Amino acid sequence: MWKILRQSIAYGWRLLCSRPAFFGVAVFLPLFCDFFFLNLMHEGLPLRVPAAVVDQDHSTLSRRVIRNLSASELVDVTQEVESYSEALRKVREGEVFGFFLLPRDFQKNALNGAGTTVTFYSNLSIFVPGTLVFKGFKTTAVTTAGGVAVTTLTSMGVDEAAAGTLLQPVVVQQNPLANPWMNYSVYLSNSFLPGVIALLVVLLACFTICGEIKHATSPEWLRVSGGSMITALFGKLLPQAVLFTAIGVFTQSLLYGYCHFPLNCPAWQMVLAMVMLVLGCQGFAVLICCALPNLRLSLILASLTGILAFSIAAYSYPVQSMYGGVAIFSYILPVRYYFLIYTDLALNGVPMYYARFYFAALALFMVLPLPLLGRLKKRCLNPVYVP
Amino acid sequence: MTIGWFAALFRVWRREFYLLTHDLGAMLFFFALPLLYPATYTIIYNPEVIKNLPIAVIDHSRTAESRHLTRMINATDGLEVYAYVDDKPAAQRLMHSKEVFGTLEIPADYAKKIGRGEQAVVTYFADMSLLLRYRTAAFALTDVQLALGEELRQQDIDAAGLLLQDMNGSTISTDSLMLGDPTQGFASFIMPGVLVLILHQGLLLGICMLAGGVAERRRRGGGVDPLSVAAPVSATLIGKCLCYLIVYAPMVLFVIHIVPGMFSLPHVGNIWHELMFLLPMIVAVTMLGQCVAVFISEREASMLVVVATSVVFLFLSGLTWPRYAMGGFWQLVGDFIPATWGVEGFVRINSLGATIADERTPYIMLWGLSLVYFAVAWVLGRVGKTRGETLKKR
Repeated sequence: MWKILRQSIAYGWRLLCSRPAFFGVAVFLPLFCDFFFLNLMHEGLPLRVPAAVVDQDHSTLSRRVIRNLSASELVDVTQEVESYSEALRKVREGEVFGFFLLPRDFQKNALNGAGTTVTFYSNLSIFVPGTLVFKGFKTTAVTTAGGVAVTTLTSMGVDEAAAGTLLQPVVVQQNPLANPWMNYSVYLSNSFLPGVIALLVVLLACFTICGEIKHATSPEWLRVSGGSMITALFGKLLPQAVLFTAIGVFTQSLLYGYCHFPLNCPAWQMVLAMVMLVLGCQGFAVLICCALPNLRLSLILASLTGILAFSIAAYSYPVQSMYGGVAIFSYILPVRYYFLIYTDLALNGVPMYYARFYFAALALFMVLPLPLLGRLKKRCLNPVYVP
Repeated sequence: MTIGWFAALFRVWRREFYLLTHDLGAMLFFFALPLLYPATYTIIYNPEVIKNLPIAVIDHSRTAESRHLTRMINATDGLEVYAYVDDKPAAQRLMHSKEVFGTLEIPADYAKKIGRGEQAVVTYFADMSLLLRYRTAAFALTDVQLALGEELRQQDIDAAGLLLQDMNGSTISTDSLMLGDPTQGFASFIMPGVLVLILHQGLLLGICMLAGGVAERRRRGGGVDPLSVAAPVSATLIGKCLCYLIVYAPMVLFVIHIVPGMFSLPHVGNIWHELMFLLPMIVAVTMLGQCVAVFISEREASMLVVVATSVVFLFLSGLTWPRYAMGGFWQLVGDFIPATWGVEGFVRINSLGATIADERTPYIMLWGLSLVYFAVAWVLGRVGKTRGETLKKR
């Protein structure tokens, strides 16, 4: 028994070593993605968004507003242009992500009481810089309006402290829990890096299992494993699981150790989640291979679900807001549960009790293909390659 | 010589067309992927915005004023008061079980402070698992804060008998306009860029799959692909490129013109400008594909690599993390991916109504990439050809 198991694992390991491309997929690609994501977004937030100012007034007041705007950490005034159409052209050319328009007679109308309007345009076709530039513009616009109001009120005899309160009688103080810096990398790297690993686990498992059928080596594979499908899969997938778990835990150590991203739970819980993610993904891959025991079709299904996972597992757009019929597909992917475990345990520091079902779901993925193995075995014994 | 070259070009074109239409795997990428994927993707994001995000309210004040604030928050599009709870632990339990995604705490002296003309501070605790949720809450709360402030200010001013210019108590009013994605919807933001990426990756996968077929036939045929056409390297490259262009043109039209129409995505650009802009991108991808193809040894192996790079290409294009904030190195890497320029320019033509003239930089860069990858593919093709000939001689 042990001998067969050893033999099977050795077979799986030899196969993994037979092609450098496999190591490229299992080791190089995830490590590259680690470096890529963490280096790309190491600043946390893309502050100092390039923006333009249209100053049609050229007065002391308008210049003061522009100086205030330039002092904001959100906005970097890179262009000062003379007209609306020129500013819009700068937006269309991609040089700036928005512009702030101070109309003619701005100072005059602001001070003589006739009233004037400052308008700001934010390019939301790229979300993050668009939102940041909007925020910067809005803060400046509101404080400018407020500043004038305070002057007016004090000139009418209201004392300054009361005038200040009058401007903002109610303040909603916002506390972003667990990620107070609104660090974009904390939010994205924590979901996309495990997503890449999950994608590669499924792809490699499908490739090596169905590759046996394509190359008609599957009878030999079964023979080495003593004719047992479970032993054969165990032997094939164990080396991959060890490799991917090592990479996964290394990725976690980069996230929580090197980058100091929030880890509000004992580290072993996240390590456990990673081990279960890798094994769950392999279970998912075997399920795909049982359903479609053909190299190309199984890989297509694996890539389709793997790439869609980045959207449908709701890393950025919440499941609760999707259509019900679409949202259920979120729960057929192992990586969704890992994401939920991460937000619960590592990010929010919620007791493990609340994540119990997510762990259970990952465990379920491991045993899910068991009833279907007979189908795969039959196909492995009579390998037919359909191009 | 030239006539021979054109004849070879035609033969390559015809053979590639034959190979493509008789390869189910490649057709899947050339046709099924651009047909089905954009719709699938858009349906996921089609609700566009988060509505009625459930939050809990801890009201220590329990006054008419605090209830008014709660009602105003409940009336916003983005937030919904899911529960009115007594204390923090109760709210935390709701947060932990994901019944609410935020907690608003109104202090006991809220009404008193407003009555005295002091500043009242209420606190909001936001779940940060998704930034979109935080954004929705932040926008809604800021709006409520401004509206409520205006209301209270007007009361105070009226009570004091002051005469002021307008409601705000200020002579300056503010006006905000959103360009490109006026509704701030998620699909409207991400889909135009993703559409280009889908075209890019579908074509790349299809070309790599065909190349894998060539490699497999060559292995079986002892170093010679029986279905290959003898032609100069340049004729082979351009002939294949023309074949892919013709096959892919209807898909491009469908993806960039019909899909935005189907889902009411932003689509204000001129269709001719869009098509003209994407032409060099498609050419560049066919050339890039033919460079990568040299290293493909098996039909299915291409998928392992191309699929995983999709995520990296998405980020390099600057759709999620803007290009100005990238390090110089990553900008340079992105410069070599046709999708980067394609996404950048197409989004601005499609969503902002830019013209080719506005997008001259990406447009020229795409033609430049076409040339660069043509040159690389030509060198690779020559090397492969001479190596094949020496192998044959041996």
